[in-house]
Amino acid sequence: MEQQTPPGISRRGFIRSVGGATMAIAGAGLTGGGLLNVLRPESVSAQAGDPYDLWFAGTDGWMSLPASPAIPPFHPDDLAPDPFNTYIFGFRNLTGLNKNRAENQKFKAAHPAPMFWLEENVPFHLRLGNLGLQLRPDLTDAHTLHWHGFRNVIPFFDGEPSGSVSVPIGREFTYVYVGRDPGTYMFHCHVEDVEHVQMGMTGLVFIRPAQDGNTALYPSGKYLYNDGDGSTGFDREFGLFLSEMWAESHWADSHVQLPEWSDYHVDFALLNGRTYPDTLEPNGSIDPFNPVRQNNGDLIAPAGRPDLQYQPMSALVTCNAGDRVALRFANLGFIESSMTLAGIPMKVVGKDAGLLRGRDGTDQTITTHTVAMGAGESRDVLFTAPPHSGGAGYDTYLLYNRAYARGSGNLGATLGGQSTEIRVYPPGMLGAQAHPNDLQN
Amino acid sequence: MRTPKRWAKRPVRLVLLLAAMTVAALPAASHVTAQTTPTDGLVCTTSATGQFDLTTKTGNILLPDGNRSFMWGYSAGTNDFQHPSPVLCVDQGDTVTVVLNNTLDVPVSIMFPGQDDVMADGAPSQPEFSGTGELTSLTKPAAPGGGTVSYSFVANNPGTFLYQSGTDPAIQVRMGLFGALVVRPSQGAQFGNHRADSEFNPDEEVMVLLSEIDPYLNEAVQRGTAYDLADYQPRYWLINGRGFPDSIAANNASWLPNQPYGAMAVVHPVDPDNPLDKPGIGRYLNVGTTAFPFHPHGNNGIAIARDGKVLEGTGGEDLSFERFSINLGPGQTWDVLFRWFDAEGYDEVLNEVSVNIPDPQNLFYGEFYSGSPYLGTQGTIPVGAPNANACGEYYIISHNHALFQITSWGVPMTGPITYLRIDPPLPNDCGN
Repeated sequence: MEQQTPPGISRRGFIRSVGGATMAIAGAGLTGGGLLNVLRPESVSAQAGDPYDLWFAGTDGWMSLPASPAIPPFHPDDLAPDPFNTYIFGFRNLTGLNKNRAENQKFKAAHPAPMFWLEENVPFHLRLGNLGLQLRPDLTDAHTLHWHGFRNVIPFFDGEPSGSVSVPIGREFTYVYVGRDPGTYMFHCHVEDVEHVQMGMTGLVFIRPAQDGNTALYPSGKYLYNDGDGSTGFDREFGLFLSEMWAESHWADSHVQLPEWSDYHVDFALLNGRTYPDTLEPNGSIDPFNPVRQNNGDLIAPAGRPDLQYQPMSALVTCNAGDRVALRFANLGFIESSMTLAGIPMKVVGKDAGLLRGRDGTDQTITTHTVAMGAGESRDVLFTAPPHSGGAGYDTYLLYNRAYARGSGNLGATLGGQSTEIRVYPPGMLGAQAHPNDLQN
Repeated sequence: MRTPKRWAKRPVRLVLLLAAMTVAALPAASHVTAQTTPTDGLVCTTSATGQFDLTTKTGNILLPDGNRSFMWGYSAGTNDFQHPSPVLCVDQGDTVTVVLNNTLDVPVSIMFPGQDDVMADGAPSQPEFSGTGELTSLTKPAAPGGGTVSYSFVANNPGTFLYQSGTDPAIQVRMGLFGALVVRPSQGAQFGNHRADSEFNPDEEVMVLLSEIDPYLNEAVQRGTAYDLADYQPRYWLINGRGFPDSIAANNASWLPNQPYGAMAVVHPVDPDNPLDKPGIGRYLNVGTTAFPFHPHGNNGIAIARDGKVLEGTGGEDLSFERFSINLGPGQTWDVLFRWFDAEGYDEVLNEVSVNIPDPQNLFYGEFYSGSPYLGTQGTIPVGAPNANACGEYYIISHNHALFQITSWGVPMTGPITYLRIDPPLPNDCGN
């Protein structure tokens, strides 16, 4: 393994220096969408020279969900290579890779897509490529990145393919976002989105407020919103991304079939792309701006869990007693989830990337132990970690989807798959987070 | 850069649809007694006397997969069957009388959830029970084959409400016996409710009425065969009684004779710095049996009322909130202010997008895309690519985000999908 970003060069400077690499794949044909004229693929497309902050690409691949009990004939997928069992589409982070390594990531999709963030009012460039679908060469689908909830976007950067443009196989497009409204959002491919979302092309994104850095309102200087009073300040933050998988639809895509979508149901409800107790396993490399990869650009599996190589995001929440912790929820499943935290009250301060305040400043925050979220909704939640019970270990609190029956992860009578733990350590034991979801344990 | 549009060979139906979208208003059809029948936006059925005569009718609707579904509905006066039933618009304080004339072979009634002190034939509306104590109807029904009932109430609360059958609702509501009731506040028709900050642009008032169909239920009703309600499973989901792409066709589109209500919102960009430039209003209703999380892209809404009740505290505190998902529970309604402007003020000359625009050959172009990032500009469309953009206008989608529900019994990307059409500021070349 190696650190692909050379030390001593700033992230953005490095990215710009390699930004000229092109992803154009010689001979890739545009075979759908009614393009009838003679194609003019360019060896270096005009956009490839644009600077970017992150570079993602869509492709297919495999991931791992509880294999037992089976859901015959759909799960485990009989075409899956060991140790995987579920066919997915997904985004991969290609930031900093050279052309050959980037192209080598085809058929190595991950779920969820890399979580990323940007700063309020700072233009952000996200380059999107399309590596094609290895297992389904018959599907010449384009991809897009739709930032779900981005206010007052122009269609050009919205990623909805009918009103805008989409990225064919072997091509590139750079989305520009100027984040004007802090909060927690989500993103997904909007091409054939019933299928591409269910197949895993989904992730969480958030905008940091301009108030960040002001330590007068909250000592950490880190906030969820421009609250003006420190009420949304936090010490640690964790993105918790909710998604679902219906085994039949994944099997259908790997077996060149079409599912009947009105039969949809949740076989697996996921938190950060995993089912409980895999949600507790450590992170892979999840800081999108400082990726650590194998020499060939592939993902490094979390320690001891080669089956979670393409599900690098832990859903574990770790904190010191007394820390104020921000949970950023985003639900891109198709069904409502109802997340209950046993033993610690949660304060909901934001919904759908909006501070819960009336236009006249009226406080609308909610203190609760259960946060229900419909499909496509987000919540920003704060809790203060309770005192530690003593000793050197951690105290455990459970955070779980109250709708147990949905997406049990085949765990029978225990908690559903969309479950994780909040581990509270003695004061001062855990160091500061280097990035969101950094466990420091 | 401006090039002639190149119309592609498309199914005739889609071309008709697009023509209806982008050309002048079609003649008003005769089957709703509306004061105005705009090409887009809310179509109100009004009454100078406050009395509405609603007659049950049967008919068929066209679904996106080409199937037709047998339906029931209420129609105004002697109008033909329509789905959904007419949007009744009244003013706050009106005494509203709805006379139901039942032509079906089963008892039928009308409930007005959210209205207080409803009277049925002069007596307080009450559930009805059989001689053996079994609930037979949630309110007084009209007898089969020509029975009538007169319901009345005073429309005290401004906002958006449903009306629907109170008799065998698990069958009759699902068969289509429902519609919307809009009560306009005494402050004026351009207000959502009594609050000054509920003012909207009356040209940008839209309905988002979400429903569902299990075709086996409708088939069983049509044929008079048995149906086990435990087997109920919707296969179609609709917006304003249509699935996409019919949903973006004009009101009263000629090829949808019984589905008069379009769902496209046609707006102009607002000036965010001009307080006189008012938002539009979306009137959301869910007549289905599960929650529908409706997501307008790039266009957050401020929810100002729920179930016809203003979101404010007892001291007038503002309890409205901004959302990018309008999640509607069954039977719920939301009044939502919305507006769109280009947050970055992109301009072809003065403020270009900060990326190189790839050659058209290196992208797929959507059929509503103008070929240019800039509002009011049309760029080069790849030869042969179908395109329906008229004048450089923007199209931004809105759809149910329970994504398995934007399908039609196997046909993806249909169902409750519509678009926000943003026309360039006036004067423009859009013909409006």
